[in-house]
Amino acid sequence: MSAIGDCELTNASEDFQPDAMFNNYGASYQEQRMQQLMEQKQMKDFMRMFSNLVGRCFDDCVDDFTSNKLNEREISCANRCTLKNMKFNERIGQRFAEESAKMMEDQAKMAK
Amino acid sequence: MPGMGQMQTDPNAQLAAAEQEMEMVTDMFARINDLCYKKCLIQRYNDEELTKAESVCADRCVAKFFQINREVSDKLAKYSQANQ
Repeated sequence: MSAIGDCELTNASEDFQPDAMFNNYGASYQEQRMQQLMEQKQMKDFMRMFSNLVGRCFDDCVDDFTSNKLNEREISCANRCTLKNMKFNERIGQRFAEESAKMMEDQAKMAK
Repeated sequence: MPGMGQMQTDPNAQLAAAEQEMEMVTDMFARINDLCYKKCLIQRYNDEELTKAESVCADRCVAKFFQINREVSDKLAKYSQANQ
């Protein structure tokens, strides 16, 4: 049984036409690419945010090196730090979206 | 902003422009977050809720940042035009 032998060898360059992809399937290909890019960006963003958060909470909460284990105060400080920063981040996100929308509106008005 | 008004008809360039814009926006957001954190979250973690002062500070911080953004880009545009 030769699965390979059963396949018709098509001329690959005829099937793959970049112009056709953009013209006939233009919208969905671009959408897919945008989707991919956005997901990658979001992941990278999340990792960066997490990394910053850990740095901040360590910086602000930990200053006692008489032990190599976190004490109660430091643990609860870290918890509060995480929550507070997340809430802060959310609030900034809301205002950012509002201001961005305003800015785009202004740009659109200026372009007319 | 200078140079951003051109319509891109080439889909590759469109994608690149969109990607660049996304990059810029996320960078701006991260920057605002960092700056406003330094200026507004001064009381370190006595409580897990944002205080009223911190919330209001955050709002004003974002607003002012965008205003600075406008001021700087206007000034920059004028400067670039004058120096051509």
